Amino acid sequence: MNARYWLALRRKPGMFPALLALWGLLALPPVRYWLEASMTRHMIVQMPLLVAIGSALAHSLSRQQRCRIVAAAGGPLALLTLASFASTYWMMPRALDLAVASGAADAVKFVTLPLLVGLPLALAWRPLGVLGRGFVWTNLISMLVFIGWLYIAAPLRVCNSYLVDDQARAGWWMVYAAAGIFATWLGALFVGKPPATVDTPCAAGYPAI
Amino acid sequence: MKIVRRDLFATLVVAVLGTATLAWGSDGFSAFTAETARRQQVLRAPRALPTAVLEDQDGRRLTLQDFAGKRVVVEFIYTRCDSVCLTLGTAFRQIHQRLPEAARDSDIVLLSISFDPQRDDPAALRSYAGRFGADGESWRVVRPLASDDLPALLAAFGVVVIPNALGGFEHNAALHLVGRDGRLSEIRDLAAVDAFLADLEART
Amino acid sequence: MADYNYVAPQEHATKGGVLAYLLTTAAVLLLMMLFGLVMRAEQAQLISIGANAFYQLMTLHGAGMVGIAGIAGAAIMWHFLGQYVRLSTTVLYANLALFLVGVAMAIGAVFIGNFHGAWTFLFPLPGNSMGLWSNEAAATFLAGMLVLGTGFLLFQLDIARALIATYGGLGRALGWPQLFGHDDGKAPPPTVVASAMVTVVNIVALVVGASILAMMLVNLYYPEFAIDPLLAKGMIYFFGHVFINATIYMAVIAVYEILPRYTHRPWKANKIFLLSWNCSTLMVMFIFPHHLLMDFAFPKWMLVMGHVIGYLNTFPILIVTGYGALILVYRSGIVWDMASRLLAVSMLGWAAGAMPAFIDGTIRVNYIMHNTLWVPGHFHTYLLLGMVAMVFGFMYYVTKPAAQHKDALIDRLAYWAYVVGSFGFALAFLYAGKESVARRYAEHLPAWVPYDRIGTAFATLVVGAALVFVGRFIARLAHARSAHLRAPAPLGVAA
Repeated sequence: MNARYWLALRRKPGMFPALLALWGLLALPPVRYWLEASMTRHMIVQMPLLVAIGSALAHSLSRQQRCRIVAAAGGPLALLTLASFASTYWMMPRALDLAVASGAADAVKFVTLPLLVGLPLALAWRPLGVLGRGFVWTNLISMLVFIGWLYIAAPLRVCNSYLVDDQARAGWWMVYAAAGIFATWLGALFVGKPPATVDTPCAAGYPAI
Repeated sequence: MKIVRRDLFATLVVAVLGTATLAWGSDGFSAFTAETARRQQVLRAPRALPTAVLEDQDGRRLTLQDFAGKRVVVEFIYTRCDSVCLTLGTAFRQIHQRLPEAARDSDIVLLSISFDPQRDDPAALRSYAGRFGADGESWRVVRPLASDDLPALLAAFGVVVIPNALGGFEHNAALHLVGRDGRLSEIRDLAAVDAFLADLEART
Repeated sequence: MADYNYVAPQEHATKGGVLAYLLTTAAVLLLMMLFGLVMRAEQAQLISIGANAFYQLMTLHGAGMVGIAGIAGAAIMWHFLGQYVRLSTTVLYANLALFLVGVAMAIGAVFIGNFHGAWTFLFPLPGNSMGLWSNEAAATFLAGMLVLGTGFLLFQLDIARALIATYGGLGRALGWPQLFGHDDGKAPPPTVVASAMVTVVNIVALVVGASILAMMLVNLYYPEFAIDPLLAKGMIYFFGHVFINATIYMAVIAVYEILPRYTHRPWKANKIFLLSWNCSTLMVMFIFPHHLLMDFAFPKWMLVMGHVIGYLNTFPILIVTGYGALILVYRSGIVWDMASRLLAVSMLGWAAGAMPAFIDGTIRVNYIMHNTLWVPGHFHTYLLLGMVAMVFGFMYYVTKPAAQHKDALIDRLAYWAYVVGSFGFALAFLYAGKESVARRYAEHLPAWVPYDRIGTAFATLVVGAALVFVGRFIARLAHARSAHLRAPAPLGVAA
């Protein structure tokens, strides 16, 4: 997927129904139960997909809408902080257990992961620049390795809802994901920057998003 | 410059709210897992337990409420278990043996509750009792009778049972203490038999 | 062949940030050299500070020297790379601030908390002090390393950002179009190629280092979260070895930039130059297993890889740079002043220092030599006479009052004291290693003491020379702030 494809995406407001449909599909009880029956599918498939839906949602908005959200939230740094706190919450084993045990908690997860993690991250992404994005990536990579190791090495189950070998498997997948992200990100640095876009800054003075 | 200040201010607000949310979600950064949370909640506020009809290894009917005025030590088991639950049985045996003779039965009762009532009929419960030295009086091995009693019981105790690939179960095994008022008042780690006994003695 | 035209780079004033880096370097370097001298004197039984104090000093000496090598290398890289790309001064200062915080934490952990588990913080030692230091002391030291690493990560990310902004990608900054296609002579200058290489390997190393540090911090307080000791050792040595290697690849930029100014000859980033730097980018990440050759429990393929790649990586950049320097200097009529002398001797020190490592990288030899003073002999030659000589050369260069300024007698004396002292000091280590004197021992057998006394004498010479270098640097600091011609024109070349 090249940069041009993503640029095409960001001009496409027609994506919204498709995103809603994907979200609805994930929320369908059989799909939901199947994905949440295993810690690996829950953490490595469902939750990242929900975040991705939120990011894609940001790209389906018009530039004015994006600018308005950034202005309302206070700015890119505030959005990034919001995304890191919200994602940290759902990284707690206890939150994961709660999402499995209670439908209401899961509903909160289905709303907050796209809207409080994916969307703000996508809106803050471009103003962060290569340096800020690199810092986010490198932190994510070492956090994934670290949490993956915690799950692999934990002497007991951290989630009451999941089997101990499922927990170790989820840990390994986090380590693999970290390695994959690292290789992809570093590879992208080698290839270089995407074609420059001509987006003008927001009227309020926030950098182009 | 103004928008940078605005961004920094908003970041500060988000950070404060975010920290508060994390603190709320982890009981003040003390419980990051559901298991720790369950143990802390019980200590803070002992929980009332449902009336469930139980059947013991000799086919006798009883409820938890029959033991009002006594203390009950509870574990959840399934008799076919051949892994971690062995530790659970052994821990219970240790507690049983180390209780003062006078306190057994008259003051403290041990209950092993099966969460696999279909398979664990009185015969299976009896064989489990024999295996770990339960005497059937001061240590009884029981199963819930009515089908909806089990979920209610597990929910009240906060025990989650999930089937594993070997046809058995994994569950958050622990030592549970039900106080004289019939409320769940303490949950301890399996390995903490000494501490559990010390608590029993201290709290009389 | 491509056509290379030498265009004398614009001489520019040294930025305040770079001077702050160099002043920090001077202060920490002198202090750590003094610690080193005290350690050698203790082994030589000339003083008696006790084993505990010895290991405290050893821990700080190691961590401080690696950190300061990073800071000094960063200063050189930033100073010269700034001619080609736009770098962030804020990030430069942020790195220095985080470095100082990290160093303060390490010093506190060692002197207040009595942590002395060596700078390598090798698992599981920090958490198993047998009561000699607390978990808090170990945690403070580890967290200090984490803070320090975060600073360097930001610094490297900013370099990556700037390289990508100017060259369009790290691949282009490493000269891939010229390496894999037609060499049109438009490859990025050596400084850019070296900076791109250092950036790639350091980012990987720092992320791995941060991961293992976070894991060890949890393990300190929750030992039931067990770490595989082999994995921990692999990760720590990967991080540490790549990082210390990268410091010389940063410092060598001084050679690439300053020698051409002295000789008025271009340093060509030709295909061979690009090939060697690109190969080392990959290889430098795979040579750390030569620290693990004694760990028979490691998978065999890893040890063989360490052996083979360790051999291979000794040469490309060293030969390309050494040969390039010789070509540049040969019949150029170069004027020998302190800067050019120190840079020239640094090439010698680098080459001489790589040889003992080459020998030690052989599995059969490693079994016997690795835990002896042979290894400190190797890295002291390599760092003291290679890396640090480049740094001192750079210090003399940026503070040179005028192109035709003559060196004072005391500088020339200090130069020879430094060269002789460093060689003697390193040879005392190497010879003791050959005689199987164990490394990392506070107390030495009577039979070992003579080597220690010789080493101590030479170390004193080195410290004395370093004092002169640093004193001269500080006295002439003002000259660094002005833009003027620093390199004297070689004979017969119109300046």
